[in-house]
Amino acid sequence: MMAIRELKVCLLGDTGVGKSSIVCRFVQDHFDHNISPTIGASFMTKTVPCGNELHKFLIWDTAGQERFHSLAPMYYRGSAAAVIVYDITKQDSFHTLKKWVKELKEHGPENIVMAIAGNKCDLSDIREVPLKDAKEYAESIGAVVVETSAKNAINIEELFQGISRQIPPLDPHENGNSGAIKLGKPATQASRRCC
Amino acid sequence: MADTLPSEFDVIVIGTGLPESIIAAACSRSGQRVLHVDSRSYYGGNWASFSFSGILSWLKEYQENSDVVNESPAWQEQILENEEAIVLSRKDKTIQHVEVFCYASQDLHEDVEEAGALQKNHASVISGSPTEAAHSAYLPSEDESLCTVSCEMPTEQTPSSDLEPALEINDVEVTGEKEKRYDDKTCVKSASEEETSENVPTAEDTALPPKKNRITYSQIIKEGRRFNIDLVSKLLYSRGLLIDLLIKSNVSRYAEFKNITRILVFREGRVEQVPCSRADVFNSKQLTMVEKRMLMKFLTFCMEYEKHPDEYKAYEEITFSEYLKTQKLTPNLRYFVLHSIAMTSETACNTVDGLKATKNFLRCLGRYGNTPFLFPLYGQGELPQCFCRMCAVFGGIYCLRHSVQCLVVDKESRKCKAIIDQFGQRIISKHFLVEDSYFSENTCSHVQYRQISRSVLITDRSVLKMDSDQQISILTVPGEEPGTFAVRVIELCPSTMTCMKGTYLVHLTCTSSKTAREDLEPVVQKLFTPYTETEIENEEVEKPRLLWALYFNMRDSSDVSRNSYNDLPSNVYVCSGPDCGLGNDNAVKQAETLFQLICPNEDFCPPPPNPEDIIIDGDSLQSETSEFSVIPEANSETPKESTSLGNPEEASQ
Repeated sequence: MMAIRELKVCLLGDTGVGKSSIVCRFVQDHFDHNISPTIGASFMTKTVPCGNELHKFLIWDTAGQERFHSLAPMYYRGSAAAVIVYDITKQDSFHTLKKWVKELKEHGPENIVMAIAGNKCDLSDIREVPLKDAKEYAESIGAVVVETSAKNAINIEELFQGISRQIPPLDPHENGNSGAIKLGKPATQASRRCC
Repeated sequence: MADTLPSEFDVIVIGTGLPESIIAAACSRSGQRVLHVDSRSYYGGNWASFSFSGILSWLKEYQENSDVVNESPAWQEQILENEEAIVLSRKDKTIQHVEVFCYASQDLHEDVEEAGALQKNHASVISGSPTEAAHSAYLPSEDESLCTVSCEMPTEQTPSSDLEPALEINDVEVTGEKEKRYDDKTCVKSASEEETSENVPTAEDTALPPKKNRITYSQIIKEGRRFNIDLVSKLLYSRGLLIDLLIKSNVSRYAEFKNITRILVFREGRVEQVPCSRADVFNSKQLTMVEKRMLMKFLTFCMEYEKHPDEYKAYEEITFSEYLKTQKLTPNLRYFVLHSIAMTSETACNTVDGLKATKNFLRCLGRYGNTPFLFPLYGQGELPQCFCRMCAVFGGIYCLRHSVQCLVVDKESRKCKAIIDQFGQRIISKHFLVEDSYFSENTCSHVQYRQISRSVLITDRSVLKMDSDQQISILTVPGEEPGTFAVRVIELCPSTMTCMKGTYLVHLTCTSSKTAREDLEPVVQKLFTPYTETEIENEEVEKPRLLWALYFNMRDSSDVSRNSYNDLPSNVYVCSGPDCGLGNDNAVKQAETLFQLICPNEDFCPPPPNPEDIIIDGDSLQSETSEFSVIPEANSETPKESTSLGNPEEASQ
């Protein structure tokens, strides 16, 4: 049995760039044109193998708190990775992305893996952000970068694979959270459901 | 701001402290449309926690003491003939007597190596990056430079205590200072006297043997993000209302906790550990065999004292401390029970309340560990944010840095119908929750407030050294003279994610009788010694050394009756700021009561419906991709290093 590592991944980016759609595609392989601004789903999980580990991604959505610039710092506490999304058809959203990166550098966890997703690449005929710009920027900050289409399921898997590869292997000595307690329902309940 | 707010809600909540955040979450969860605003740039109000630079900015805000310039569009013209306005305060008056002392040496040694700690391109995040200083918050905007932060004390009297004279925290320019650790050759400058704003780099490089943990002020600045300094210092009783609510509502998934590891007492000039669990009692070296039996017998009785009324009925009229004297307990044991288990004082509490408190303490033991208390990782300030997230997940809208100019009241019905915000936008709603500090003096002219005295210290070691240095401790120091209050001391270690490696963060709290420094400094002096250069070579210095200290008074609005506010419409509800107590029951009770007024007959924060977190068990999905296929959730174990007591996020298939 491979060890399961839970990895918190937070999503960042302008309202409407497709953050939730990317997760929805990744986790459920589903795309909904009329996805309403994120309500009711606070995070989704998906487990994927990586080397001799299993990575269980706990993907946190912003719950709309970014809309009026009021994202709480607890949102990126303890995140192993951040997916920062922009819309290739909106230059502004690429500009905001840089602000998010700065924000993460200042207040996010150290050594957080950053992955930049230029979403809506199916609309490249109305593209405003050249891929080259994104690549150069990503390189300058040491981030993974990929253009995605949640709609057409392009590069979504690759995005998360890229993250998985960047996650440093587990160091048994280094664990800041050792002994942290998660509250919750009695453990018996959880162990009952087994496939 | 590109987006504009909707103009109609069911509930508008002003202030993001713990009670407000719980109510916002509960209302949103019940389907109410919630707008939650805070005029500050951070969540939590007086429940917030800050990075080190964040707390410096916070201090600055209170010290500048300047009135907010009112540039907002006038609201007056928006008030119709049949309406009147309740103007809200634009200035927070809840924090007073702020005093800061820096004892750590402020060496500005330039020639230190970059020590490999330069990561990526942005290692400068902490060191002197001009944005870092501002609010520990969040948005890349309107930040101010660290260099403007100076923490002079606004006090009338200069502190002429036994402690070293206070330093002005100079405008520390740490730009260019690179990471250094072990090569820090105690090039410390005397951190005392009348250094003013210019730091003279007289680093006399005394050739002392390198000591490992000489923390300097610039190190604290550089590692500032590792601090999460709470304005209120509280713990969660492991069977208290807040824990129950966190679990019931599933909000617990957003936070992680640490168990408090030790209960301490300060007696006869020494800090000792209080044995409180059965195992502790038996392992205790301080207690004699006879004492162990006495204590176990007494504690066992307390667990079910209600069943034996004959044992305490006769003593109901006297204080708990008198009652303890009637029991077969040595003075040692009486002291433990009174101050560290019942956590009360000689005079404050009668027998029944004391028994109740003792029972509550014992009941909470063992749920998560050896003491009855939990502390949230990253600080108490996380908790309001967790409830806010829950509110947002159910559609609540969040606006920080958003102030409200006034409440609009209909003259005839005497009901509040709208707010007018800083942009002059009128937003209507059915219910309005306002945190006490937002009311203007007109509204609170008859309110009598109590005060809380607070101190935050950064120290270099624990008050009681043990084999493990990752201890989280609570210590109660009884008031010395009649009329003074017991001081609660909570010492946090770096693994709580509230302070940098090599330091401890110590919170002191008591009900105020004077200013915070006057109330708390005597205790600080008993437990700590100011950091000085002329350190005795002796590694075994008895007391931990102070690196930095902050004192302030916070207004306690918790016991204010609603009737003491002038002319509040019935659909305007008041939330109080933090109370002085150790637990959070007060906030939860308050939230639940107000929620019941807004949403009668609705369940208070019921568990979210299972599909809230859409969990896909992979069987049917994504089988075509090769290496990256979904593994069905075989079980819901969390990594072994975290003590998971269940797995709230797992929904059913």
